[in-house]
Amino acid sequence: MFRGNSMSEKQRKRSIFDIMSEYVEEFETLADELMESAFPEGPSWNTETCCLHALSNVFITPREVIVTADLPNIEPETVKVEAVDENLIEITAKMKKKVRFADLGIYHRQGEFSFLRCQDHIHVAFDAEKMKISYKGGIVEVRFPRKK
Amino acid sequence: MSESVKIVEKKPIPSEATMLIGLPDVGLVGLIATSYLITELKLEEVAYMDSDLLPPVVVLHKGLPHAPLRIYGNQNLIAVISELAVPVPAIYSIMRKIVDWGQEKKVKRIVSMGGIPVESRQAITEPQVFGAASNQELLDTLTKRGLNLMNEGYIVGPQALSMRYSISKKVPAIAILAQSFYNYPDPEAAAMALKEFSRIFEIKVDVAKLLEKGEEIRLKARDIMKRTQQEMNRMKKSQEYDLPLYV
Repeated sequence: MFRGNSMSEKQRKRSIFDIMSEYVEEFETLADELMESAFPEGPSWNTETCCLHALSNVFITPREVIVTADLPNIEPETVKVEAVDENLIEITAKMKKKVRFADLGIYHRQGEFSFLRCQDHIHVAFDAEKMKISYKGGIVEVRFPRKK
Repeated sequence: MSESVKIVEKKPIPSEATMLIGLPDVGLVGLIATSYLITELKLEEVAYMDSDLLPPVVVLHKGLPHAPLRIYGNQNLIAVISELAVPVPAIYSIMRKIVDWGQEKKVKRIVSMGGIPVESRQAITEPQVFGAASNQELLDTLTKRGLNLMNEGYIVGPQALSMRYSISKKVPAIAILAQSFYNYPDPEAAAMALKEFSRIFEIKVDVAKLLEKGEEIRLKARDIMKRTQQEMNRMKKSQEYDLPLYV
């Protein structure tokens, strides 16, 4: 009887290690979810929109939001930067030459691509109307002042 | 744990060769440089790596399946590449096995090519190349051959482990590192690293075609770069920006 009570007491009172272990598990799940949202799985192209997805980065400084994108093989004058909404920007550019899967050595898929495109979520307020765009060595850099 | 990684030899492996390691890392510099060198020197596939620690993947080339982690070679050179971003939990066993195998094959030295991430990379027309080595004698040799040394700093990832395990196995090791983009494929940086490798070890290779194919490589390398970035984040690669403290 005494033992039985002691066991159920133990089961009710979780040790600090159990609680910590649960926290760690929750944290790991959250970290995995964040990683998945940062690097969504899926193809790096869209045959319907004829777009290849470009690699991009977002840097937040105290005064600016700086977005860069790797845009090889494009016509620089076609670079278009658009604020899709207050937290999302999209960069697109037309490629100098259409790229087909076959050009990349892939023959089991069909499709051709005319554009490079990326979308980036920005989690601070920024002024899209005052953006400055520069392009050098195949890298587009867009600078937005942050809103106070 | 080391038994969880096997190197399966397909052809006789020469001894006294230089072993070059080009795994996916910052700017894919090592991978781009090493795979270009393999093509230019027409090196043959001599071995491949098999491990349950790696994802269940084969790569098809010209319709035939290949292991993603492969070893190429000729009489003087052994080159290790991976067409797979090596998962962080596997990297210790993989690097330990590569160094152990290299020692078993009596390699003269282990050289790893890679990138040093620089924030203002797009402002740099010609990336500089720096070297690091496992002992003073090797460092002196690199200096004599005109390579700038990376005096202070952190190296994180496959190159760090290749250096660490090479020291413990007493295999001479050198790292050749070019300034590069962190997470954009950087064929120019790869060309610069390869030029230095070619000059130091007197292995003739023309990087002109690599530079010409730069844009095509950048388009093709987006997927492996993205996956490599995930692994770099997991291994805290950004520590390479840190300043070490040793007073």
